[in-house]
Amino acid sequence: MNERISGLRARTRSGAYRAYRLPPAQDLTAECDAHGLSWPARMARLTRRQCEAERVVIGPDERIVFTRTVPTVPAVWTRDQQDRLAAGRTFHEGGLINNICADWGMALSQGLEGRRRVALASLERANAAGDAEAIEFLGAAIETVDAVLELAARYAAEARRLGMDDVADVLDHVPARPARTFHEALQSLRLLQAVVWLSGHHHVGLGRLDQYLWPYLAADLEAGRLDEGGAEELLAEFYIALNRDSDCYPGIQQGDNGQTVTLGGMTPDGRDGVNPLTWIALRVARDVGLIDPKINLRIGADTDLALLELASELTRRGLGFPQYANDDVVIPALEAHGYAPEDARDYTVAACWEFIIPGRGMDVVNIGAVSFPHAADTAIRAGLAGDWSFDAILERTAAEIRGQVHERVEPFERLLWAPAPYYSVLMTDALETGRDHGSGARYRNLGIHGAAAAGAADALAAVQRHVFEIGDISRRELLAALDANFVGQEVLRRKLAEESPRVGLHEARADELLRKLYDWFADACESERTPSGGIVRPGTGSAMYYLWLARGRADGPLAEPVVGATADGRHEGDPFGANLAPTPGTSLRGPISVLQSYAAIDYRRVCNGGPITMELSDSVFRDAESIRKVALLVRTFARLGCQQLQINALNAATLLDAKAHPEQHRDLIVRVWGWSGYFCELAPEYQDHVVARHLHAGL
Amino acid sequence: MTSGVVFDVREFTLHDGPGIRTTVFLKGCPLACTWCHNPEGLDPVPQIMRSSTGARAVGRRYEAVELAELLSGQARILADNEGGVTFSGGEPLAQASFVAEVIDLLPATHIVLDTSGFGGKDAFMALARRADLVFFDLKIVDPVAHLRWTGQDNAPILRNLALLEQLGRPFVARVPLVPGVTDTNENLTAIASLVASNRMLVRVELLPYNRAAGGKYASCGKTFAPGFDEDRAPNADLDPFERAGIEVRVA
Repeated sequence: MNERISGLRARTRSGAYRAYRLPPAQDLTAECDAHGLSWPARMARLTRRQCEAERVVIGPDERIVFTRTVPTVPAVWTRDQQDRLAAGRTFHEGGLINNICADWGMALSQGLEGRRRVALASLERANAAGDAEAIEFLGAAIETVDAVLELAARYAAEARRLGMDDVADVLDHVPARPARTFHEALQSLRLLQAVVWLSGHHHVGLGRLDQYLWPYLAADLEAGRLDEGGAEELLAEFYIALNRDSDCYPGIQQGDNGQTVTLGGMTPDGRDGVNPLTWIALRVARDVGLIDPKINLRIGADTDLALLELASELTRRGLGFPQYANDDVVIPALEAHGYAPEDARDYTVAACWEFIIPGRGMDVVNIGAVSFPHAADTAIRAGLAGDWSFDAILERTAAEIRGQVHERVEPFERLLWAPAPYYSVLMTDALETGRDHGSGARYRNLGIHGAAAAGAADALAAVQRHVFEIGDISRRELLAALDANFVGQEVLRRKLAEESPRVGLHEARADELLRKLYDWFADACESERTPSGGIVRPGTGSAMYYLWLARGRADGPLAEPVVGATADGRHEGDPFGANLAPTPGTSLRGPISVLQSYAAIDYRRVCNGGPITMELSDSVFRDAESIRKVALLVRTFARLGCQQLQINALNAATLLDAKAHPEQHRDLIVRVWGWSGYFCELAPEYQDHVVARHLHAGL
Repeated sequence: MTSGVVFDVREFTLHDGPGIRTTVFLKGCPLACTWCHNPEGLDPVPQIMRSSTGARAVGRRYEAVELAELLSGQARILADNEGGVTFSGGEPLAQASFVAEVIDLLPATHIVLDTSGFGGKDAFMALARRADLVFFDLKIVDPVAHLRWTGQDNAPILRNLALLEQLGRPFVARVPLVPGVTDTNENLTAIASLVASNRMLVRVELLPYNRAAGGKYASCGKTFAPGFDEDRAPNADLDPFERAGIEVRVA
């Protein structure tokens, strides 16, 4: 990083740009009511007013501009109006389409004027056909295009006034017209994406950056306009800019903003997509060392080990990414779930881990969780009380899973999205077909996660071993111990916990139950269909459910059932493993057995994603030889046919010190569940969870 | 059918040989080095360790076939990643027939023998012959000092070291740098001249003393009495080795 980039980074981290922030945006309800605006027109008005309200801010050393100054997103309906609109419907996470990825490559190559022409052509057809819905949608979309163009023009004029002619020249051209250079492409992307945030959407992914930006960079390199160092500098500036406004983004904790990038992997036509920009994008992320963008790397059994070594250097830096997705497994799984081959090959990773299709996907990838431990525990308790066979307990577990899936899916049969005219401009088919992305996208499936599978498999395995095979624990005894939360039953509890097969140790009994849980889960999902013909995608993530399913949720209601003490010897309230991780407290041998255990899952049936989550002590990464071994471990993950992997390099002592002396650890980054955040900016209970998880799971 | 006592099986041990490895820690060691950082590996039988977090059983008896099955389940992965299995301890020579049987039950696997070198000739021959690479600890060359700090004579160690050449087994000499004990100039010089002429020497690795060594003694019901100044920085002097033309590194 040169001085200019270091300065930009420092000012971004210190929050210096917040000085330009304006007061909260003005409510638009009255204006919209006065004009009797429809919902699509209101959403377009929102984007327009937000763009108009933006104050132009250009720092003297910036080459890629836009700094957000409007801190909030105003309402377009009163609370009453909105309640009436949403009556009887499910208004998911505020109702604005989110956690999807635009067709950035298309948008950059057409420019907003190109998109405007597409909209006008569709409008002509819609007028001829008398298609009122399309006429309204396209009119709204065009209004947003014009608003963004005006904003860009104001930035261009200010740059010109400041004598920054190179910046002004770029802005005179983009985002209006197709980008011609890497610099123009990054500037266009910056503005186009920022207005999505400004319009109130959240989890705005950046998709396959190395794929859609490479043609611009390749042309620059070929023409000698730019060298690799220049490309790195521009990309570093772009990355830093993504961190400048992130405190204005909605999310549970700062950092949980879904601003992800996916690198590498197969091209839509089936070639290896790794290109020089893949390497540059990783190197820059390593050197800049900020939490945005969060990097996903698509790999396969034969990925270049040197690329994995570079990626492992990011892990060493403690960034909590890259997260790895295995193309060999993910692409066939998406195809098996109805995604066209060229779309499946073009997948990107959503905010946390779900696999989505840029430009064409409108999947709601996280409608909630199925509690495997609750399903197993209900069956175990009923089976112990009723003198059932072990098979009968398993059947009941499957039935419980089915019931939970249906409960989670049912509200989403009445899903209602707010119109999204601006975001639709950036999507593959919306302007072309005259339909808003929310209602017209090619893929409108649901995703649901099966959480804490290790805990459930361990509980079932313990019952199988001790009640049905050895017979050293009686049904009555176990039931009483569970009811008593093992108080006074420490010997029995340890027998369950320490002398039973467990997930993570590559023990056939436990791994087989793990596989079965996901098979039953997939069966249950296959029996569901949404009214629009969408499917339900089963996944393996947990988000905060690894805690909520054990303790309930302090900050709001929880639809999912909470479980008490469980037959794996787990006390009531003790957390489960996050995502695909063994139950905390399991005496693990190390990552090989963990990977082998998780290789038991039939990932072709669970396409919604959710990573094997590992914490490695940072002492693992001390030299180049060790980095190479971490890279080999990542390759092993792919070769074993696992789906997704996330490795955290942490030192428990550092975390504890950061808790005590936050001022000395401002830049310490940790992975929380699907996202990375600054440790010192997390709420205390989240900090404690991260520390506890690392103390337990350090391999 | 032989059985043995193992105090840990750890995967992805990064400093126990090439590639991705799994290390088997055998329980029981005939030496009693005052700086030993694995005191739970000293007694040859399973035991209970007690600490503030509760009691924990350390060590379990494995049938050779049982341990071989566990390791065989990973052998392909280890081979695929330039690695294999390392037998460490404790002291593997003290359970040589068990270890030999386990190795014989494995599919072709890269084996590292991590040993103090203290053991009978037959035991050493049996395991060194089955190993692809030997990590051979060299602590103190002077026999009197060796006896004082480890409780044993070093004659068997020096004899076994010489056998490596005869067996044609490559080895890495590993020297723990214990302040004032093993890190003196004369000891390092003596070690350098001891190994310099051995044609099977791959390199020398110096392992600076780790201050955490004493941490586990109380849990094992033992007293940590190092007998040297723990606070003094070890003398990681590469010079005696470089002068002898030996590849050397600090691990």
